[in-house]
Amino acid sequence: MPVRTPHFPDLLFGSAARLRRWEGALMALLAAHGYRELHPSLVLRGAVPEGGLRFFDGDDLVALRWDFTVALAGLLARGFPAPPDRVAYAGAVFRRPVQPWEAVERFEVGCERIQPEGEATNEADVELARLLMAIPGALGLKSAILHLGNAALVRRPLEAEGIFGELADAVVAALSRRAPHRVREALDGHPSAARLAAHAEALLSELDGPRTLDALASSPYAELLAGEREHMDRALQALLPILPPNLELRVDLADVAGLGFYTGPTLRLWAPGAQQELAAGGRYDRLFPDLGRPWQAAGFCVRLSRLLDLADTRPDLFEQPQ
Amino acid sequence: MTQPPILIAFPKGRLGDELVPRLAGTPLALDAAALKSRVLRIPTATPGVAALLLKGADLPRYVAAGVASLGIGGSDTLDEMDVDLLELADLGFGACRLSLCALAGVTLAALRAKPHLRLATKFPKATEAWLAREGLTAELVPLSSSAELAPLLGLADAIVDLVQTGGTLRAHGLVETAVLGRSSARLVAARGAYLSEPGRIRPLADLLLDALKAKA
Repeated sequence: MPVRTPHFPDLLFGSAARLRRWEGALMALLAAHGYRELHPSLVLRGAVPEGGLRFFDGDDLVALRWDFTVALAGLLARGFPAPPDRVAYAGAVFRRPVQPWEAVERFEVGCERIQPEGEATNEADVELARLLMAIPGALGLKSAILHLGNAALVRRPLEAEGIFGELADAVVAALSRRAPHRVREALDGHPSAARLAAHAEALLSELDGPRTLDALASSPYAELLAGEREHMDRALQALLPILPPNLELRVDLADVAGLGFYTGPTLRLWAPGAQQELAAGGRYDRLFPDLGRPWQAAGFCVRLSRLLDLADTRPDLFEQPQ
Repeated sequence: MTQPPILIAFPKGRLGDELVPRLAGTPLALDAAALKSRVLRIPTATPGVAALLLKGADLPRYVAAGVASLGIGGSDTLDEMDVDLLELADLGFGACRLSLCALAGVTLAALRAKPHLRLATKFPKATEAWLAREGLTAELVPLSSSAELAPLLGLADAIVDLVQTGGTLRAHGLVETAVLGRSSARLVAARGAYLSEPGRIRPLADLLLDALKAKA
C-alpha cells in the first residue's frame, strides 16, 4: 500500500512574497479584462467528493473548499437570476492529492466566462486563450507552451458509437496514456474497434503546430468532427498572429484529461522542463444546466502551488524580479 | 544553464536480460564496463543520455515523477501500479502470461469449489479483477518473490504469477489452470517531459524504438 503523508506546505519569506506578488499580478490582469472577483466561502456544505477534506461542524458534515469552479457554480446558481459574464477568484483549495508529492493545500488563481445558453462561444474561447497567453509574462516565466485541445474530439465519436461507462473509461485511459495499442486492446471484439483505433492513431499522430489539425482528415470521424476542426482552426487563426515571442502554441488532439467535465475546447499551459501543467482549463457547458441554470461556461485555473515548486527547483526558467 | 542529461529507466532482471543485448551496437548501447560494475547509472553511446538500472516495481515511479524521461517496463507492473505515465509503444518482447497456477492434478473446478480459497501473488490488483469477473472470492496472500513455493508448502492453494516458458512451474510440480492476462515490454514516458519538451524526448523515443526494431 502506498504511504502518503499529508503535505500542508508552510510558505516562508521568499515563497510567501512570490505568492502574494503573483496573485496580485494575475488578479490585476484579470480585472483589467473585466473579470470581477468572487470569493466563495472556504467551508462548503452539501455533497463532498472523494478526496475532499471533511469534518463535522456540530452535527453537519462539511468540507473545505476543494474546487473553485464547483464552489463558484453553486454560489452563482443559488444567488444570481442571470450570471455575471466574467468572474475571477484567488485563494486555496484543499484536496487529497492523486500524486503523493502534491500538497493537500493548493493555491490557485482563475477565471470564468459565463454566457446564456445558445450564444456563440467562439469569441469567449479565444478571449480565454488570449488571457492565458498573457499569464507567463505576468509570472515572469521565460518561455512557455500553450496546448490547445478539444474534449469533443474523443467524446463525440464515443457517443456516436454508443460507448459509455467502463468501456468508454478504458478507451479514455488508453488515450490519456497515448497508447494506441491499449485502445485496440480495450475495444477488442467491439463492432467499432477498427474505426476508433484508426481515430486514436489520428489523434496521437502529431503533437505540433497548426498542421496537426490535418491529422483529423484521416480519421473515420472527420465529417462528424468538422465543426470542432473549424472551431480550432478559427482559434488558431486568431491566436497565431498575436503569439508572444516566448510562447509556443501546440495542438494536442489527444488531450483527454478531465473528459468527464470538459465538453469542448481545452487549454493547458506548460513550461519547458516542467513536470506538471501550470494552468489548465476549457469549456464545461454541462456544469450550470446540471444545477438548473441554462448557462454555458468556460474558464481556466493557474496552479500557483506548482509554479512555486517550479520557482524553487528550476529558478532558471524565471526572469529575476526587478 | 546547460541541459541536464536525459535519463532512461531500464529494468533489471528478466526484461533487462532481454533488453541489454538488443541495445548492443545501437546508439543507446550501455557502457559494457559500467554494466559489469555495481553502478546503477550507466552512460550510453549517445552523449547526454544515461541509463538507470531499476527494479521493475520501482521503475514506473521514477518515470511518473519525471526523474527518468523514458523507461521500459512490463505491462503487468504498469497495470498493477496504475501510475500516471505515457505508454508510447508495445515493444513486443518479454511476452508472458499472467496465470493461475496450482499443483499438478488440482483443477480450476477444484479451486472454484473451495469454500476458502487462498491465492498467493505479486499481482493483487489483477487477481482481484479476475476474481470479480469470475464471481469468486479469495484470501490474497501478498508475496514479493518465489511465489512457486506457496502451494508446495501450504501457504496458499494456488498462485497468480507470470509464466514465460513454464520451466519454473514444472520444476516445482505446478501447472497453469487459467490465463488471466498477457504482458509484454512497453516503452513509457514521463507525461511532463513528453508534453513540455517533445522536441527533446520524442526523437529519443524514436531512436530507442528504431534500435529495438533493428534488433528484433
